[in-house]
Amino acid sequence: MKLIRRMAALWHRNRETRALREEMALHLELRARKLHRAGLAPADAGFAARRQFGNAAIYQDQISALWGWTMWERFWQDLRHGVRMLVKAPGFTAITVLTLALGLGINTAIFSAVNAVMLRPLPYPQSERLISLWEENTKPRDQGFSSSGTVVGSAGGSQRTTVSPANLADYKATGAFEDLAAYDSAPVNLTGLGTPQRLSGEAVTWNYFSVLGVLPAEGRTFLPQEDKPGAESVAIVSHEFWQQRLGGGADALSRSLLLDSKPYRIVGIMPAGFQSPSNLGLKLATEVFLTASYSHELLASRGDHEVNVVARLKPGVSVAAAQAALRALSAGLAKQFPATNGNFRASIALLRDDLAGSASQSLWALLGASGLIVLIACVNVANLLMVRAAGRRHESSVRMALGAGRLPLMRQLMTESLVIAAAGCLAGIATGRLLMFGLTALAPPGIPRIETAGMDWRVFAVAATLALATGLIFGMAPAWQASQVNPVDALKTAARGTGGASQARWRTVLTIAEVALSLILLVGAGLLLRSFSTLMGVNLGFQTDRVIAMNISLPILRYPDAQARLLFFQRLEERVHAVPGVVAVGTANRMPLRGGWSSGIAIDGKTDRIVDPDFQAVTPGYFETLGIPLLRGRWLNAQDTANTLPIAVVNQAFARQLLDGADPIGHTMQRKPRAPRISIVGVVNDIRRGGKEEEIKPEVYLCAGQTDLYPVPLADLAVRTAGDPRTLVNAISREVWAIDKDQPVTNVHTMDEIVDEAVAERRFQTLLLLIFASVAVALAIVGIYGVLTYSVGQRMSELGIRVALGAPPRAIVGLVLRQAGVLIAAGVVLGVVGAYGLTRFLEGLLFQVKTTDWHAYAGAVGLLTVVAVIAALIPARRGARVDPVVALRQE
Amino acid sequence: MSESKQREGIPPGTLEMLILKTLSRHKPMHGFEIAEFILETSSGVLQVEEGSLYPALQRMLLKDWISGDWGKTEENRRARYYSMTAEGRKQLARELDRYARVSEAIAAILQPA
Repeated sequence: MKLIRRMAALWHRNRETRALREEMALHLELRARKLHRAGLAPADAGFAARRQFGNAAIYQDQISALWGWTMWERFWQDLRHGVRMLVKAPGFTAITVLTLALGLGINTAIFSAVNAVMLRPLPYPQSERLISLWEENTKPRDQGFSSSGTVVGSAGGSQRTTVSPANLADYKATGAFEDLAAYDSAPVNLTGLGTPQRLSGEAVTWNYFSVLGVLPAEGRTFLPQEDKPGAESVAIVSHEFWQQRLGGGADALSRSLLLDSKPYRIVGIMPAGFQSPSNLGLKLATEVFLTASYSHELLASRGDHEVNVVARLKPGVSVAAAQAALRALSAGLAKQFPATNGNFRASIALLRDDLAGSASQSLWALLGASGLIVLIACVNVANLLMVRAAGRRHESSVRMALGAGRLPLMRQLMTESLVIAAAGCLAGIATGRLLMFGLTALAPPGIPRIETAGMDWRVFAVAATLALATGLIFGMAPAWQASQVNPVDALKTAARGTGGASQARWRTVLTIAEVALSLILLVGAGLLLRSFSTLMGVNLGFQTDRVIAMNISLPILRYPDAQARLLFFQRLEERVHAVPGVVAVGTANRMPLRGGWSSGIAIDGKTDRIVDPDFQAVTPGYFETLGIPLLRGRWLNAQDTANTLPIAVVNQAFARQLLDGADPIGHTMQRKPRAPRISIVGVVNDIRRGGKEEEIKPEVYLCAGQTDLYPVPLADLAVRTAGDPRTLVNAISREVWAIDKDQPVTNVHTMDEIVDEAVAERRFQTLLLLIFASVAVALAIVGIYGVLTYSVGQRMSELGIRVALGAPPRAIVGLVLRQAGVLIAAGVVLGVVGAYGLTRFLEGLLFQVKTTDWHAYAGAVGLLTVVAVIAALIPARRGARVDPVVALRQE
Repeated sequence: MSESKQREGIPPGTLEMLILKTLSRHKPMHGFEIAEFILETSSGVLQVEEGSLYPALQRMLLKDWISGDWGKTEENRRARYYSMTAEGRKQLARELDRYARVSEAIAAILQPA
């Protein structure tokens, strides 16, 4: 109540002051009139009334203080004064505000990305209880006669794989989860609605939507009985699919879709904007959801790791508790089913963290780096403010001599700093907004949700807090400095005022800090650059130029067996070969960097030692198309068919790792104890199937013509061309449609693009850190230049005397450079120590480069030193050119 | 920011009690009337710098002991008329009680038994 009244009074301040004055005037008038009636002359009466009243101004001030107006008034005064001082020095103001805008802007942009990718909750109800579950092979090179799809990634010596649906019921039995759902990408060909299309689809268990907590907006979700082999084929489509491909009509729920030539009845339409976790925030959204309908065979086979799992924790169950329960269960399963579960265990993580994945590490590193930039910007502004405060020493001492307290003086300077910080904050948010566009444009595909980066309350709060903190930090130094002024000493020295020893010390410390901080960033950038160039130098083992790859997934209904698919691709290869400009054409299950499969085998019938090479079924043209040279033996060729002896070609790593370096030709392998023996007839060069970062693994190339050897369908076609492969895409597609007009051609990319995309994330990190380091170095240079220029200005008369006494220009330059050298050397030493401590956070981002890589350190130190010396040379030469007469006259 | 500049006459803190007492006995009064009343009732013994009345009034307004409403004087001049609130009445009782105890104690010391 009182507070409200005070605030209201503040609002009505002028009115209240007028009212008070009126009251007092009335009082004086009435008193004067009374005195007059008592016999005084009018003039005397007025005077006597005023004397009796006392000093009205003092009473008014007292009342002002009473209402709390004084503080407000002083703040306004300081603020107005501060703004006026800044407007009077536009150059200074522009530099400081720009420096802050840069620092805060970079931070705002990076933080908004961190916020979008890692902090913001996923768009599912109570998403903090959603977790991702996977299985880990604790002995990845020894997994028995089991096969697995694309290997998802590896962590800590154990290899992460997808989940075996057979284990799901056991996981649910731990009681930690409300429910678990499985999903897997299941792209399908859509026909009967215009041109044939390849849809991104997902095969999900019936409870998938209820686990995510989002049910269809129209129609219904899947029923348990629909998620069984042989059940009616039903589909749920996305809102976007309904709008764009079905015209958004109300009749959609009564329609059917022809997917892979099989009719599916639409039973539900998801709400607008719904995205499945696997492609959250990515451009390619899932359009149709189908029931997974796992076969009885699959549900009985614990060794088939094939699906992704999302689960919802029971309320109150922590991730750690669920993890512990799963570990115990996995140990039990391993004992119970040693053949399939012996080396496997289940692991979980919050779905949000798991989706952010590798991006989170690089984003945290970038956030750390941008934090260093803010520090440097802070130091720089503090430095500038101190130089300015030194110039205003005279002003300060005059004010102090006239009775200004130290506290008001400090408050005045702090207010000025906060005005700068506020301006910097606004400019920083605007800069951040711009940088954010650049950031999302540069961001590699695959960082989930980064497109959604934008301003929200978190970003604003962080920017504002940072600005306030920086304002306080950089405002402190000059304010404290000013309070140390001794007016007597200061007034005694020349009006221009020297900075004083303590001031010079402060600025030296700040500059050293700046050099050190920017060196840390430079070392970090150097490490990433080294690591990136190492990566780029990795030889893939095949030729990527002038090759185009595309996916042609044949629907099982129209191409029911491997033989039919083989025939299609053999016809297609013949036709494509005849297209002018085509040099070679080959088919495989999957082209390099597009996944693959692996399988346990026994070599030469030794079933006691099962090994696990990667497999690939290829047509004879594959090797020529990708430029993989044959080292020994013979190629696969067109004469190898289902009726001839099963054969395979292996790579060098196969011989090295699985045959102890022996010549593989003549050895045999089997995928099952009673499966046919496959003879090795040739050895080809090693290639890095998984991309530049992957190790070379033992690899077996099966003959596409011997279709009973491989369970995975042929799907990828690659074409080597004489010219730009892009120009032949239409011609190749026409050949596909000449054979089957309903067959979509998708995922068309040149091999160069595919390789490039695989390094996109590293390029992004490296580029950003390089930009950050450049900004840091630029700021440090400005700092060094500023300090030296100022110090040369201060020492003009001294330098003038030296010149007058015969010092050659070289000596003067040396004098200034020595001062710079001390700054730079101290900064470099501190920076190297700091970098040594901080770069270990980059370890996970480096490729075959140690955090202590001396090249990076030497490069960073060398670069920084050279640039800093150049920055120092400018003021040094100015010092050397000083005219002694002019310099001495200034005194 | 010293509290008040009253030189002599009344002990510090007493002014507010006097104002409250004055307002408790009469209809709402404006500043000059209050000053006049105190001066006349004490037969001119209590000397107060009249201006000090106004910070005291403002302080009491803030503490909710009195309320101020604008009205017209007999000569049709605008003036703020102060009147006592319930809170002010309680405060007056407290002050009087305290004053009574203090002056009793002082009297006991000054008049030897």
